[in-house]
Amino acid sequence: MTRVYMDDTSAERLNSLQEQNLELSRLIAELRNEAALRTQFLSNISHDLRTPLTAIITHGEILRDGILGELTSRQKESVSGIIGGGRQLLEMIGEILTYARGAAHQLTLARTEFSIESAVEQVCALNESLIAKKKLDLAVAIEPDLPVLYADRDKIAHILGNLLGNAIDFTLPGGRVWIRCSRAASTERSHVLLIEVGDTGIGIAPEHHELVFREFAQVDASASRQHHGTGLGLAIARKFVELHDGRLWVESALGTGSRFFFTLPVRSAP
Amino acid sequence: MVPHILLVEDNAFVIGALRLLLEETGHRVSDARSVAAAARVLLDDPPDVVLLDLTLGNEDGLTLMSSIDVGRGPLPIVVALTGHDDVATVERCTAAGCRAVLVKPIAPLKLKGQIAEWLGGRVVA
Repeated sequence: MTRVYMDDTSAERLNSLQEQNLELSRLIAELRNEAALRTQFLSNISHDLRTPLTAIITHGEILRDGILGELTSRQKESVSGIIGGGRQLLEMIGEILTYARGAAHQLTLARTEFSIESAVEQVCALNESLIAKKKLDLAVAIEPDLPVLYADRDKIAHILGNLLGNAIDFTLPGGRVWIRCSRAASTERSHVLLIEVGDTGIGIAPEHHELVFREFAQVDASASRQHHGTGLGLAIARKFVELHDGRLWVESALGTGSRFFFTLPVRSAP
Repeated sequence: MVPHILLVEDNAFVIGALRLLLEETGHRVSDARSVAAAARVLLDDPPDVVLLDLTLGNEDGLTLMSSIDVGRGPLPIVVALTGHDDVATVERCTAAGCRAVLVKPIAPLKLKGQIAEWLGGRVVA
């Protein structure tokens, strides 16, 4: 056994360092506790906001669907406005809660096996009417025989939905949007998928490429912009990609459309 | 016999909306705002379908499942109502014995259709 002898100054410094360590540990625990409390608070607020909204939307839909008698077309239009506004608010509340959970490192993955193709199909089907309304041309290209994913299907669909939603929002009527899925890199043991969501829309200046992933970022405040959101969508999408050990980035310039890419390392089910 | 639906929900506005919908579409409706109140309805006036909110104040709605007495007549069909249908929530509800998980707000015509489908396969109490 080796004995180390310290002089008084060294012993004092060691004591002081140990005290600082204890203080740091205490502060870290306090911060974690505060983050957990904040998330719990947001979670409670979110539930409390959602509940009366649910009642408003259900009443609206009872009227719209003619359960209490047929409405005139103008009455239907007005009630549909109430429902649409309510549903938009619900989505925003959901995003705020997801973001808060991500910030507090409370997001976990519920992995199941599925094909990227099925997730893409699901998201395209959900956006079908918006795409038709804006007369956009949607193209989907999926490389054959891609490996099955073992990932969180809801979160992958959320990422795709967010990117496709932005592509639709920021592309003028008659433009093109597309989703491509391919192998980014493969070895005998590991595969990485590359997913691209692109559009011929207004584009993003290179100096704003990182800004768009920051929470509450607003790059374009022009009146032509028809986007309604919390400013959290891309921050959440990046968080979800990173939870899967992937990377999300954008390639774009003003006026040339945007191409968002993310990678997904393929894991096998245990 | 008119189907009997028990709404287990703690918000008066949501109860009001669902009661209106269900009564207008030919159902008899009871409501309960806590697990204890719902358990009493299960004993006194057994419903055909239970629409069960997962969050009842500080209570977990799924704790009601242990009050369902398998010895007494046909079991009610229990359907969970929730704000999120993520995999974990669906698994928890299915494991507890729920027939389905519906995300609020539920489209009225869809709920009406689903109730008819659930009850179609059984004799109404």
